[in-house]
Amino acid sequence: MQFFYSGLTSGSIYALVAIGFNIIYNTTGLINFAQGEFVVLGGMLMYTTLTILGLPVSVAFLVTFIIMFIVGVVFEKFFLRYVKLKTETNLIAITIALAVIMRGIAMVIWGRDSLAVPPYIEDKTISVIGGSMNSQSILVIIVCFFVAIILSSFFKYTKYGKAFRACYDDQTAATICGINVNMIRMLSFAIASLLGALAGAIIAPITFVTYTDGIMAGLKGFAAAIIGGLGSFWGGLFGGFALGVIEGFFAFVLPSGFKDAFAFIILLLILFIKPTGLFGKKKAVRV
Amino acid sequence: MLKVTSLSVNYGFVNAIRNVSVHIKKGEFVALIGSNGAGKTTLLNSIMGLVPKKDGEIIFKETDISKNPPHSRISYGISLVPEGRRIFPNMTVMENVEMGGYSKKRSEVVSKMDEIFHFFPILQERRTQLAGMLSGGEQQMLAIARALISSPDLLLMDEPSMGLAPLVVKEVYEKLSMLKNMGLTIFLVEQNAMAALKYADRGYVIENGRIIMQGKSDELISDNEIKRAYLGKEYKEKWER
Ligand SMILES: Nc1ncnc2c1ncn2[C@@H]1O[C@H](COP(=O)(O)OP(=O)(O)O)[C@@H](O)[C@H]1O
Ligand SMILES: [Mg+2]
Repeated sequence: MQFFYSGLTSGSIYALVAIGFNIIYNTTGLINFAQGEFVVLGGMLMYTTLTILGLPVSVAFLVTFIIMFIVGVVFEKFFLRYVKLKTETNLIAITIALAVIMRGIAMVIWGRDSLAVPPYIEDKTISVIGGSMNSQSILVIIVCFFVAIILSSFFKYTKYGKAFRACYDDQTAATICGINVNMIRMLSFAIASLLGALAGAIIAPITFVTYTDGIMAGLKGFAAAIIGGLGSFWGGLFGGFALGVIEGFFAFVLPSGFKDAFAFIILLLILFIKPTGLFGKKKAVRV
Repeated sequence: MLKVTSLSVNYGFVNAIRNVSVHIKKGEFVALIGSNGAGKTTLLNSIMGLVPKKDGEIIFKETDISKNPPHSRISYGISLVPEGRRIFPNMTVMENVEMGGYSKKRSEVVSKMDEIFHFFPILQERRTQLAGMLSGGEQQMLAIARALISSPDLLLMDEPSMGLAPLVVKEVYEKLSMLKNMGLTIFLVEQNAMAALKYADRGYVIENGRIIMQGKSDELISDNEIKRAYLGKEYKEKWER
């Protein structure tokens, strides 16, 4: 059972990253390869605000979120919106370039070492059915579920959330209705940036944070999104947990060096067997 | 209410409409007819801002709106029912209608919603269904409902008859004519000239991106050139069947 619990913790992080991928994909049709860098920046900013500046936890989170919201907005507004030839390939290439640039900036600012972020709650071991869990890991899982519920209610019940779904269905029709589609695209990057940062912030006390972490976080989150079905909100959540638990299981039975490879074996299997993912729906072609 | 003057629109180097002028007075039901590719959709889309104009003016209620971003135009009081309806298939009927009121205050939308569902009882019945599951005729009604919720002064309609059975086309036009009687101004473009001219007060004829004729609907219907080009020999039998 122990692998199951550790799988849930890393799965929460994959899920948050996957949901970020999906939100951007749904409003823009793009895969944002800088999603993992948002995770790193979230962790790094928590290190700066908590460890270096000594701010209270709530203020540290607030500052991190504000900065990451701005990062998301700038990302879309300045780097993607004014590209001359907006083919998907071009735009995706830009997200890859931005990922590399962000990684470089993180290295320059925070260096190459793993940085420790102090725990947000008292660190203790709690016994659960068939094993034990660390209080911080439980916090990660709770936060993930909490965010999933808030976000899904946002998309389901609020006017602005519905506008996101309208843009997903038909951007021309959304424009006719008075929805500012560019604004929605921008906000989807901002939300994805916040989700990444949140994932990075809550996992940082457990795994610490290194400037190269974004590569794996991004790829695993992407794998989770594919497993669940690209664009599906609940699919992303499920894909994240599924990936985390399966990975945890194989880390338990195989030498741990194979752990990372396993995510991609699953990814390939899904792409071969059911390319729409487990919850994928067919999507109308967008222009 | 709407005055389009010398409007030209290009797609790249292709000239889609050239020097088009139309005007629509308050309370009128005006139809623009023309065959496939004549530039009807282009005209409506440029009024709505979906395609940029090259030249000309679009004056709506004394304001030149031709430079305003597309999403802001609905708040001047224009609504478009687009070609192919373009309802939101993965949203419920009710959510679709709500989205049409995106630019309005919540309270206005709520009070207008009852009115709309009263006017389209079929949508009332299906309000919690996904819009993608509706039949073509129901989707057309939904597209109209979505356009009406913002209480527009001018309704733009792009080929309401497209892909619908004659009986359903008739149903849609009956609704439009009721709306007109309630005081709504309507500008409609159609390939199905007979249906459109039967209900409209006035008409324009567009060919290859230019307006080639205009007049009262009955004048246009009885015009020999129009009969030959748009109505077909057996139009009467077809329509009245
Ligand atoms: N997106 C586009 N890109 C290039 N050409 C277009 C586009 N849309 C329409 N056209 C061309 O513009 C002309 C007018 O098209 P349209 O306004 O759709 O006509 P209608 O609605 O009367 O059938 C046609 O020749 C069509 O091929
Ligand atoms: Mg057309």
